Amino acid sequence: MSETLISKPQMTGGAVKSTPWYQSRRARNIIHALIVYALILPGACVFILPLLWMISTALKPSNEIFVYPPQWLPSSPQWNNFSEGWTAYLNFNRMFMNTLIITVNNVIGNLFSCCLAAYGFARLRAPGKNFFFALVLATMLLPVEVTIIPQYVLFTKLGWNNTWRPLMVPPWFGWPFFIFLLRQFFMSIPMDLDEAARLDGASSWRILWSILLPLVRPALATVVIFAFIGNWNNFLGPLIYIRSVDKQVLAVGLNMFRGQYGQVDFHYMMAVALIVLLPVLLIFFFGQRLFVQGIALTGIKG
Amino acid sequence: MVLTISALIRRRPLTLHQREQVDFYIAILPWLLGLILFTGGPVLASLIFSVTNWTGMNLAEVKWVGLENFRTLLFDDGLFWIATVNTFYYSFGAVTLGTMGALFVAILLNQNLPGTTLLRVIYYLPSITSGVAISILWIWLFNPQVGLVNYLLSVVGIKGPLWLGSQDWVKPALILKSTWGIGANMIIILAGLQGVPVSLYEAAKIDGANWWHEFRHVTLPMLSPVLFFVVVISVINSLQILTDVLVMTQGGPGTASFVYVYYIYQAAFQYLKMGYASALAWILFAIILALTLLQLWGSKRWVYYEGGEH
Amino acid sequence: MRNSPLSRRQFLRFSAGVAGLAALSACAPAAAPSAGGDANGGAAASGEAVNVSLGLTWEAAFQSHQKEFDDKFMEAHPDITLEPVYNTWSDHNNVVPTWAAADTLPDIIYVHGSRAFPWAFEGITIPLQSYIDTDTEFNVEDVWAEALNLYNFKGEQHGIPYDHGPNLLGYNKDMFDAAGIAYPDETWTMDTLRETALQLTDAAGEVPKWGWSAEMPGLSNQDGVSSLGPWGAELLNTDENTLLLDTDAALESTQYWTDLILVDKSAPTPAESQAFEQGPWIAGQVGMAVVPSWETPSLASFSTFAWDVAPWPEGPVARATGSFGSGFSMTKNTQHPDQDWAYLREYLSKEGMEFMWGSSGRGSPARKSAYDSWMNSDTVPEHVHYYLDALDTYAITGRPYQTLAAAELNDIITRSVTLLKSGEIDVASALAAIMEEGAPVLTAAYERLNS
Repeated sequence: MSETLISKPQMTGGAVKSTPWYQSRRARNIIHALIVYALILPGACVFILPLLWMISTALKPSNEIFVYPPQWLPSSPQWNNFSEGWTAYLNFNRMFMNTLIITVNNVIGNLFSCCLAAYGFARLRAPGKNFFFALVLATMLLPVEVTIIPQYVLFTKLGWNNTWRPLMVPPWFGWPFFIFLLRQFFMSIPMDLDEAARLDGASSWRILWSILLPLVRPALATVVIFAFIGNWNNFLGPLIYIRSVDKQVLAVGLNMFRGQYGQVDFHYMMAVALIVLLPVLLIFFFGQRLFVQGIALTGIKG
Repeated sequence: MVLTISALIRRRPLTLHQREQVDFYIAILPWLLGLILFTGGPVLASLIFSVTNWTGMNLAEVKWVGLENFRTLLFDDGLFWIATVNTFYYSFGAVTLGTMGALFVAILLNQNLPGTTLLRVIYYLPSITSGVAISILWIWLFNPQVGLVNYLLSVVGIKGPLWLGSQDWVKPALILKSTWGIGANMIIILAGLQGVPVSLYEAAKIDGANWWHEFRHVTLPMLSPVLFFVVVISVINSLQILTDVLVMTQGGPGTASFVYVYYIYQAAFQYLKMGYASALAWILFAIILALTLLQLWGSKRWVYYEGGEH
Repeated sequence: MRNSPLSRRQFLRFSAGVAGLAALSACAPAAAPSAGGDANGGAAASGEAVNVSLGLTWEAAFQSHQKEFDDKFMEAHPDITLEPVYNTWSDHNNVVPTWAAADTLPDIIYVHGSRAFPWAFEGITIPLQSYIDTDTEFNVEDVWAEALNLYNFKGEQHGIPYDHGPNLLGYNKDMFDAAGIAYPDETWTMDTLRETALQLTDAAGEVPKWGWSAEMPGLSNQDGVSSLGPWGAELLNTDENTLLLDTDAALESTQYWTDLILVDKSAPTPAESQAFEQGPWIAGQVGMAVVPSWETPSLASFSTFAWDVAPWPEGPVARATGSFGSGFSMTKNTQHPDQDWAYLREYLSKEGMEFMWGSSGRGSPARKSAYDSWMNSDTVPEHVHYYLDALDTYAITGRPYQTLAAAELNDIITRSVTLLKSGEIDVASALAAIMEEGAPVLTAAYERLNS
């Protein structure tokens, strides 16, 4: 039902321009579009509230934040909250670079390790595979609250305290969520593709690189988006492992606007949070382009 | 000449098969190393702590208590059962609404209409901004007097409940809040929808299928591996709900939103009972593992893998 | 495979500090010394500067103030280098135990009053008694005894408070003026409070106004004393192993506060007060509220109304209110306690407190001699001296603070009290439920304490 809308106008576009049949098809498409908008827009109004709230708070003077009933429009927008929040107390430039370095490394690390493992679980036959896959799932099930202290002790014993290593090394060793996700996508590709290539003498890695990865491009985009956001917003890890302010990341810096007993510079906090949100939005739009490229390739499948 | 070729063909499947096995272990090696180096130790440690009275601070004073923690939990701790029931209630609602909501939105946003990309961003926004402290927004939305939720209900003539202030409505409120997080599932399903071959729809069209038939016989089967993932992950995540409870309700009113991982968090970091918290965590582990294995087993009935099961 | 070149390139490009994959496999547990980055360990006498790390929780805006003090200190003490380690305030209490488990605690840490006792019991903080006893210049008598009590573990000081303050009656002057009612003063009793709250209430309007705020009945810590004390009731005995909520006085006082919400409707229910990020008081929707000293800076910067404080009203039996505070301790992982003390004795001296918390308006200093500086600061209300009066005469530190079960007990209390305030259970059954659930928890904690 979905792709028909993309392909139909192209198929019929130039052919028979003035016939009533075309008219009615076009009318149907418009009605279809109207129904979709009618269903999707009310929800969108609710889902955009957090962003509007952030923008509204970011533009308020401090004494308008807690008034009741809450007001969406500040009396006079304080545009300098953005520059003041960014520069007044903490070195957010430094934190931005730190976060970027860690995040980019972790996205690449996750892509590499999770694609490999997912490929193994989805398409290579070997004894013990089901056991190991159950283990992948099992490691997602234990609440982190009870493993975080032993893990901190472990990394400390490795001498990694107050370094980025506890944040940047593990992503190269897989993340169960992404392994499971990519496995599902790999599994929905017909097996004959691999087998044909294998008979032609292609290695497993050649098959993965040249045949499978291009086919799961939307899934890879999803992993990039999720990994980027997850690492960009990661708060607990940096909070525990990083002690020096000059190594600290944005998520921790953001929460430092919040102090004891309601001493919170909410307006600065939200202004900085909006700036921090920008790269995430960029990645999302970039990821969307990979989605579209994925559509072009679907013809190979099935 | 003919002989060598036939010999090659005969020998090739065998070597290929072995090669494949070796490749499998190479492929999962990074993950396996990570499990051994980084994850395995802490997990085992928590298992050991579950049979001790560890407070979570002084490792020198850990005392073995055997299965005492588990016995207390199952037979002497009313909070454990309250937390378990609350968590299942929440999880059922959150998974059902979350999965169906995400599927619905993803299908609508898979039409290549103008503004789709922007709408996708909007639906994903609450998931991205969750790291920012906007709990007051959610609390305010559920406010009985001036909140948006009750306002919308009043428009259709319903007098809304007290939501977070009511023992009966706090769990539905948390479930409703969780649907703001469908963005992540929506992205996954959208990615899955890109993999459904256009040719299948065209074939269905030629067969005179209506939209429901298309959805039922093309979209759903082709999407089932991804939907399976979404359901499994949603179950795991919803059973481990913590943040919303921590910032919005602190388990209240009374114990109405006292959920499982909130209990673990309180026991581990507030009550100085890391041993007890570990026992709690491992019982939850067993519960989720059973559910996940059940889903894996059940998936054979409804999940269709183009690549085949092997 | 493109495994190793790819990963190595990434590592090199993105992180100088990260070891490559090869190095990782060589990382057998090497027991690397990493406690707080104290490279010079116990080098107290080596002549090189000793590194003293400080585990702090100040929000971003206050960190520069801390730095100003530290810079001055380092100028005067070239043999000591200070290294601040910042936690976010809300996570500090979770991170400190994590540090403790791995022996990476900073040398000196911030300790909230509610954590002083369990952290001392766990050996996270070490006794300072010998320093206090021998350092006559430090003059511990200048610190309020009620403040010191919070950090006393089995007869020894495990920390020194920097800030300690009581609950007072705050009021919204604009609302009083609009209603033509005289401001609260020393003559007020709990009856006056109740009558006035009723007069100030206008909950019918679209934007409701209440006479009284949402905190009470609090039952534990500073709110517990303010709630129960005026009727002569108490939450706990001094050993903190027995709950005392089964008295008529406890029943009567709890009934009084509950009636304000449910009978008079002059205070918001929990559901109603949930609409406010920081409570209905700071939003200007209530006429009177509990205002502890540490809330005055945020009131000064966030409120849009004129406000002041008055003594906590006298009850049928007594005038009583609760107090609480925060402080600093030395940790078990310090290698150079003498240098830590050199810092603490100045940081928490009269001049130190005046600079850090007094003249900055940040909070009511724990030293009597530093109090003037706070009372003269910019963010305090006109009648700030009532805080001093309370500390001098009728404020006591709110229990629980000498049981290992304080956090658990507070949760038990909160569970019943929210139901009570919502009108789902009555006072007698709420108090009975707290007694029943709390008793075994307190007994177990007391046994653990003395085993």
